[in-house]
Amino acid sequence: MPEYKGLKMPAKASAEEMRQIHIEPVPDDQKVEMAIQYLDEMRKKFRSFVLAMESCVKCGLCAENCHTYLGTRDPNNIPTNRAELIRKIYRRYFTLEGRWFGKLVGAEDLNLDIIEQWYSYFYQCNECRRCAHVCPFGIDTCEVTMIGRQILHWLGIVPKLHASVGAAMERTGNHTGLTKPAIVDTLEFLSEEIKDEFGVDVEFPVDKEGADIMYVPSSADFLLNPYTLMGAGMFFTYIGANWTIPSTITEAGNFGLLFDQQHTMRHNFTRLLHAAQKLGVKKIVWGECGHGWRAWKMYLPGMADLPLRWPITHIHDEVAYYIRTNQLKLDPYKLGRPVTLHDPCNYVRACGLAETMRTVIRACVADFREMYPNKENNFCCGGGSAILFDDPEMYQLRIKFSQKKAEQVRATGVGKDGNGILCAPCSICKAQLYPMVEEHELGVEVKGLIDLVGMALVWK
Amino acid sequence: MTYFIAQILPYITVTVFVLGVVYRLWRWAASRIVHNITLSPFPQTKTEVAGIYLREILLFRNVFNFDRPLWVGAWPMHIALLNVIGGHVVGFYFLGKQFVYLGASEALSKYLSNLLGTVFGIILLAGLLYLLYRRIAIDKVRQVSNPSDYLMLLLLISIVSIGNFMRLVPEYGMHYEPVKEYFTTLILFQPAAIPEGNPFFIIHLLLAQILIMILPFSKLMHLFGMFGMRWIENRVYKEPAPGLPNVDVAAARARGTGLSSASSTDVA
Repeated sequence: MPEYKGLKMPAKASAEEMRQIHIEPVPDDQKVEMAIQYLDEMRKKFRSFVLAMESCVKCGLCAENCHTYLGTRDPNNIPTNRAELIRKIYRRYFTLEGRWFGKLVGAEDLNLDIIEQWYSYFYQCNECRRCAHVCPFGIDTCEVTMIGRQILHWLGIVPKLHASVGAAMERTGNHTGLTKPAIVDTLEFLSEEIKDEFGVDVEFPVDKEGADIMYVPSSADFLLNPYTLMGAGMFFTYIGANWTIPSTITEAGNFGLLFDQQHTMRHNFTRLLHAAQKLGVKKIVWGECGHGWRAWKMYLPGMADLPLRWPITHIHDEVAYYIRTNQLKLDPYKLGRPVTLHDPCNYVRACGLAETMRTVIRACVADFREMYPNKENNFCCGGGSAILFDDPEMYQLRIKFSQKKAEQVRATGVGKDGNGILCAPCSICKAQLYPMVEEHELGVEVKGLIDLVGMALVWK
Repeated sequence: MTYFIAQILPYITVTVFVLGVVYRLWRWAASRIVHNITLSPFPQTKTEVAGIYLREILLFRNVFNFDRPLWVGAWPMHIALLNVIGGHVVGFYFLGKQFVYLGASEALSKYLSNLLGTVFGIILLAGLLYLLYRRIAIDKVRQVSNPSDYLMLLLLISIVSIGNFMRLVPEYGMHYEPVKEYFTTLILFQPAAIPEGNPFFIIHLLLAQILIMILPFSKLMHLFGMFGMRWIENRVYKEPAPGLPNVDVAAARARGTGLSSASSTDVA
């Protein structure tokens, strides 16, 4: 846990780890100069960033609409103040008023302390975009966080967690470093589990050339969320699909979105297109992953550099389609436990999945209780953008960030008898909420949405 | 000094304002919309997009939904400001007789013009004072404020206070006719001196010009910025069609895929 003038910050990747993700760290004495140069590049490129820099009126509306501020009451966690960490530098170097009037208009010279502040506070942002959703002008502080993280990445400052995930992705095609034998092995194990628990035969074809459908699961599903992968397998088997899981990209996530939207994100996109080409599939279906789905749905078309040959949809969209067309037989009473739904931010504010998830959950669960606020107004779980740090101090922050979520879950009453289910259909939400439901003693178990589909399917 | 404020400065003000706004808009336009960051739920038609713009501009819906105490000050303030600015243009141009076109008598029109001006002037001042109070007294707002945020409010409050003072204290009031004449000469590039030596009017005029000159270099650009930001974030997005290739669920269920009795090579 590095200490820097009382700032809370996650462990940084070492120089060697940075080189593994293709970055030569900038020496301290050049950091300020380079940061200004990178900032200049960014502001000339991204209009969303320029507008966030130049049109905020500081009304303060975003403050109490951000769960990180609600949880910590740290003024720098007010979205507009988080942006101000860059805005004051932007004003100083790139605006007339900042050059002429300095502090009066809130302009400041850049120094190393401020760069460390960027690192601390841009990695306390969940990139959930609730601020963009509530802002009267739609100013998207997530865009500012993303640009801050991009500049930090180029300077060689990335959390160990993100850098190691980036390196693992490049090495193996997934975040957890699974090799093909491990993938096949785990899937065989899951087949047996399904047989034991649900009494059905499900095969998970890996790298099957000529399959119609390529399903890209989150690699966390292999280790942490097996029921999500089992649910997907059961769904595809149930509908008699000719499907496969690619071993070269067994990862629904894309950490490029979170720390490097240029090289890393594009590299992952290219990997997917290669896999789809090699296997000759007709459609790509995405697994449960919030930030990943945003990256692949919204960013891929603009970054693929060619018209996409394959339609890409989310597995929730597909399940909902077969539910709406009455082709799935689901028994909502099988589960017999109360369920509430946490809307992953990226699904509801970036990908339009709010109604889709409800179509699915209502068909699978008899006792479904909404939490409020929900859908696009929902609060983040506190783990968004993978700030799932285990350093003790950062872990305390995660508890604070999830405070609002805990209040929301409690208000639904699903955990009253200790048998509730908190459906959080996103790998990062799951990773955050597994420990957090214990910390806040919510009496609920965290599950994905496809988990519930698998459990509710009626086979005969 | 009066000569400078009334007959020279206005031309500088307009030049700075126009060039400044063009410069800022050019800066915005020079950067690109790189990624699709449309906020969902996605509007399906341009009409829906226009609906989002309108409800935010006319009603401040987000402020209403997510920070009601702010809305109570901000919405009336902006509506009053719009009416006061409109009132200045229309009132002086028609000499207060604008409502004649809506069927009122001349006397009634002048009465209405005065009444509306007074009412909106007071609402505007109250709104601004409330916003200043928020900035000073409420922690979260104070914590996001720069010195310029207070100065901007103080400048607006000064302009509006003087305007209200002239309207409420008849000795220092301005009549429509001489002001109209003055502005007419300004527009014709033959600026005449301000007819009466009313110091309040001169200060009002000076401060208003300062505000107009500052606008392009300040957060007041949010007037244009909000359109720029919504242009990026509220756009039509059509979902790709769901439905999987070569899938026939009825046939699969008839075959009993997944059930032990069915053959394991059940996929076609």
